[in-house]
Amino acid sequence: MTPTRTIIPPTSIVKTMSPGDHAGTANPLRVLWRAFATIWSVPKARIGVAMLGVFVLVAIFAPLLAPYAATDNSFGRSEDMSAAHWLGTTAAGQDVLSQLIYGARVSVFVGFVAGLLSTIIAVLIGLSWGYLRGFAGEVINFIVNLFLVIPALPLMIVIAAYLQNGGIGMIVLVVVITGWAWGARVLRSQTQSLRSRDFVTAAIFSGESPSRIVFREILPNMTSLIVGSFFGASTAAILAEAGLEFLGLGDSTTVSWGTMLFWAQNSNALLTGQWVLLFAPGLCISLLATSMSLINFGVDGLSNPRLREGAKR
Amino acid sequence: MRYTLSKVGLLLLTLWAAVTLNFLLPRLMPGSPADAAIAKLAQNGPVSPSTRAAIEAQLGVPTGSAWDQYLQYLNNVVHFDFGVSYTFFPQSVASLVATALPWTLVLVGFVTIVAFIFGTLLGVLAAWKRGSWLDTLPTVGGTFASAFPYFWTALLLLFFLGYVAGWFPTSGAYSSSATPDFSVAFLLDALYHSILPATTILITSLGGWILGMRSTMINTLGDDYVTFAEANGLHPRTVAIRYAARNAILPNLTSFGLALGGVVGGSLLVERVFNYPGVGYLLYTAVVNQDFPLMQALFLIITISVLLANFIVDILYGILDPRTRR
Amino acid sequence: MSLVSVQGLFVVYEPQGALPVPAVRNVSFDLEQGDFVGLVGESGSGKSTLGFALTGLSKPPARVSAGSILFDGVDIAGMTPAQLRVQRHGGFAMVLQSGMNALNPVRSIRDHFFDIFTAHGHVSKRDREARAIELVGKVELPASVLDRFSGELSGGMRQRVSIALALSLEPRLMVFDEPTTALDVLVQHAVMDTIRELQKSEKFTAVLISHDLGMVLEVTERVMVMHDGLVVEDALAAEILAAPQHPYTRMLLSHYGDPRAAVVEVPGLAARGGDRATDVAVAAAGNAPVTVTGDTLDTLEPVAAPAAPPASTVRRREGRAAREAIVVTNVSKIYQRPSRGEEPVCAVNNVSFTLEPGASMALVGASGSGKSTIAKLITGVERPTSGSITFGDLQIDTIKRRQLKRLHTEVQMVFQDPYAALNPLHTVEYILTRPILNFSRLRGRDARARVLELLETVGLTPVEQFAARLPHQLSGGQRQRVVIARALASDPQVIIADEPVSMLDVSLRAGVLALLDSLRETWGVSMLYITHDLLSARLVTDQIMVLNSGAVVEEGRTADVLQNPQDEYTIRLLEAIPHPTVGGLVQS
Repeated sequence: MTPTRTIIPPTSIVKTMSPGDHAGTANPLRVLWRAFATIWSVPKARIGVAMLGVFVLVAIFAPLLAPYAATDNSFGRSEDMSAAHWLGTTAAGQDVLSQLIYGARVSVFVGFVAGLLSTIIAVLIGLSWGYLRGFAGEVINFIVNLFLVIPALPLMIVIAAYLQNGGIGMIVLVVVITGWAWGARVLRSQTQSLRSRDFVTAAIFSGESPSRIVFREILPNMTSLIVGSFFGASTAAILAEAGLEFLGLGDSTTVSWGTMLFWAQNSNALLTGQWVLLFAPGLCISLLATSMSLINFGVDGLSNPRLREGAKR
Repeated sequence: MRYTLSKVGLLLLTLWAAVTLNFLLPRLMPGSPADAAIAKLAQNGPVSPSTRAAIEAQLGVPTGSAWDQYLQYLNNVVHFDFGVSYTFFPQSVASLVATALPWTLVLVGFVTIVAFIFGTLLGVLAAWKRGSWLDTLPTVGGTFASAFPYFWTALLLLFFLGYVAGWFPTSGAYSSSATPDFSVAFLLDALYHSILPATTILITSLGGWILGMRSTMINTLGDDYVTFAEANGLHPRTVAIRYAARNAILPNLTSFGLALGGVVGGSLLVERVFNYPGVGYLLYTAVVNQDFPLMQALFLIITISVLLANFIVDILYGILDPRTRR
Repeated sequence: MSLVSVQGLFVVYEPQGALPVPAVRNVSFDLEQGDFVGLVGESGSGKSTLGFALTGLSKPPARVSAGSILFDGVDIAGMTPAQLRVQRHGGFAMVLQSGMNALNPVRSIRDHFFDIFTAHGHVSKRDREARAIELVGKVELPASVLDRFSGELSGGMRQRVSIALALSLEPRLMVFDEPTTALDVLVQHAVMDTIRELQKSEKFTAVLISHDLGMVLEVTERVMVMHDGLVVEDALAAEILAAPQHPYTRMLLSHYGDPRAAVVEVPGLAARGGDRATDVAVAAAGNAPVTVTGDTLDTLEPVAAPAAPPASTVRRREGRAAREAIVVTNVSKIYQRPSRGEEPVCAVNNVSFTLEPGASMALVGASGSGKSTIAKLITGVERPTSGSITFGDLQIDTIKRRQLKRLHTEVQMVFQDPYAALNPLHTVEYILTRPILNFSRLRGRDARARVLELLETVGLTPVEQFAARLPHQLSGGQRQRVVIARALASDPQVIIADEPVSMLDVSLRAGVLALLDSLRETWGVSMLYITHDLLSARLVTDQIMVLNSGAVVEEGRTADVLQNPQDEYTIRLLEAIPHPTVGGLVQS
């Protein structure tokens, strides 16, 4: 019925195998490179990767790129754009451009760490939940659904209010507590569909242990979902972090895009007409979040076996 | 019927869990919020023993066993007794919440439903006209708009349409000269004030609905019943609406329920930007002033609202999907 | 003038970012009013693509790239969708392969009919209820079905509703795309009878697309055989039966046989007369016509069966022939329905049998007969509600998790779907190395040598090349050989084969069956062969058990039971097998 069934050209067939090459363990670096190439091959994702790359580089090299120190308040207050201060200065007399550049560090850091932690929790809970049956599964089901329907931001606000001025560590913690459930749910349903597949039953017949079945048979088939939920969780984390700081619930002396907006609102930048103070940090948050959404267009191919094809050539 | 009953059971269970979470939260936190709250309250005048007991029950001062506290707390919740706010002393928390809630319910509830319907329709159109400008424009626009932080969109609208252009009021839900009643003049005034916050929520939530509906609709368009309907020569509009979209809406309805919490959270920030006197702004005020009784009560009310909305969505799902009727 | 006249038709698949693939190449034929024509081919032959083109349903990535399809003198290949839509009433209709999913799950069956009546306006609002009842009556369904939703109907009922819906267009041409493939054997037969009667009474032109040449020969007057996008033979059914011209047709035809015949044979599989001794003698003489070669690299299988197949690569194994029997005693399995108020299902009802060491036994029955449940019980995947299952000193019905590994060194399984049974991310070598490491003491070079040996055993040569491949680089038949090799890796005494060839094309089945047969023969494993296909059961087993609703209704020697069935259910199963003309397909 499907004439599109792929016919592998004979040239792709591996001619020889070195004896030391054991049991099809592909070189991880090679797989990583191919994963990157897969994402890169989707135009939308390519734009996302480029945008994210710029933000990461800016965050890493902030001290080299920023014209002044982020907390240096020795300049004129609420100045307009000028050659010395491309984006003007804040009401406290700090250079806006320098703050913007240093602010990238917080967002990128929170996005990466909170995204990673949420994803790890999501993977652990999603996999075990998908593999468990009976009462334990029902209990986890209820807990995850509870975390899904409870509005995350109000919960974060309440927790953050109790943990007065906890700084970035607190924000990461709060974001992770509320951010893992969605990924867990997605990964669980995929685990359930994979565990009923014949190749999982076959692995049991091959004498494999349950942990090996989960980590070597099921997990690799969910790469695209896991990477997808990482970027999803990162995006949510960046937006939540900015929201909390905007409300003044973080450490307001940290220089981040969220606190920039907090100070802009509190110093009435709206009335003084300094729109750059509002516009620039928000735009950066949006672009960073957009870059991750765009990358997510390219992750679908990651579970494709063709990634590993000829990995040993 | 079975379906409805099971959903009612789930709702009750979830409500209980949310109420219990609200009880546990302050007790799990380091320090003693209750002492801080009572100390703050004492600044306004002497604290009556009953008020002290109410605060302690709610915020967990270890008097009596944890179980007794829990029962006392449940009793208070059932009677809408959330103690006294010290930010707005001597008003009770319950009365403050009751004043704020309608503003949020009307604004966020109405706009969210409009956004979902409008976004779903655009998503259907985008999937049906795949590859045309009707597809590209909403998809690309939606991707960008949904990455905007709610409060940023709010700030931009406020700045450009409120301050610079001066077209819309910049603060509050009604003119300071007006008194809230149900006169036409007041309702128009309130409507005028709600345009900017409503537009903010619409812009930032619309993209998600468009993208979600578009992708499920593209899936159902590939289903056999759509091909078969085409083979039977049904009118394209019938195929698009009654066959493809009608099925695609079901998974989207579930996502709608789950995304509701996010929309409500975002709306809270919007209320803060516009000083809109809803629960979001009140929550902000409570947090800034460390008014824990008010904060806890607001969190509970917001959670319960979202749970009830999810319940309604579940029931709607049951009506729309004949497979749940068995 | 012919009703349909196809001239020089080309259909190409143009997937995004890939090279276009021709699916239908230069096809020309005419269909007269009232013809009943079969369109036969294996997967990828282009038969469904042609069917979609005939009914104006070609959608991207498929595209009619050249040629014309004249329907009643008008070329429908060049029509816009709007023009085509008008043509459908009184024109051409299609019944899809997956009747399961052809109905909108959220609309009632009545709505489906009314939608069609509204779209074409050929039935007035006043008459439409009566007309809908009449139409479902034609496919032998009660009027009450109109109130139902597709989720409430069985597979056979859904396919009947699809046929009635297509019929409501009052079409002059009906294309049936594998209308019964997804259905149970017995239901298949009944639905096909309905189609045949409808075609006679309604006098539409019918095209029956199928992979099953035997069935097509039985029900149609004329048959077109497609291979690789070409119509390689187009002749009356009787002519094809008597004197097939094209080698491909001859090859397809050679794989049919009547399981009731005294001697049944297909190319590549030894004749089985029911006399065990002759079989052994033939095998021992070393010229058993067993084809155990790897399938060719491309997915196209050789057009003709090889004349002189190479000798089997399966080697006799030393001192490891099956020693222990699987003894199943009074086993029942009852599934509790998840929702209260529904009756529990008795999947297996008081079944007893013994699989002797080295024996091959068939477990046959329609779907839902409990045959796959028995496989799960024997392999310890599920536990029986009552009764006992033993293998040697292992008590399988109460087996502990730790003992499962011991059971699986001796009892292995071959799965139905070779596409689902291999993890797409692991190489063949990894897949085969795992059970060797888990079950034997072989390590390193020795383990690898064992992998290559296994590949040679199942005929996947050159072994080094196949070891390095990923499943998607293999054809269906090659995948199933890997699945078999994996089952052999633990050096088991028993192999349970659950419909091992039902997902494979006809031309590949014999090879896999021959492999299983020679494994039992030379390796000395016992085999429990689970199937609904009585012909294959006849070809590879000596004993048979017929299951109906979880209970054994008949058992005995395969040849005896099939030649002389006693139970009414067995007779119905046998009658459901197409047999175009009595003795016509059986060269005995």
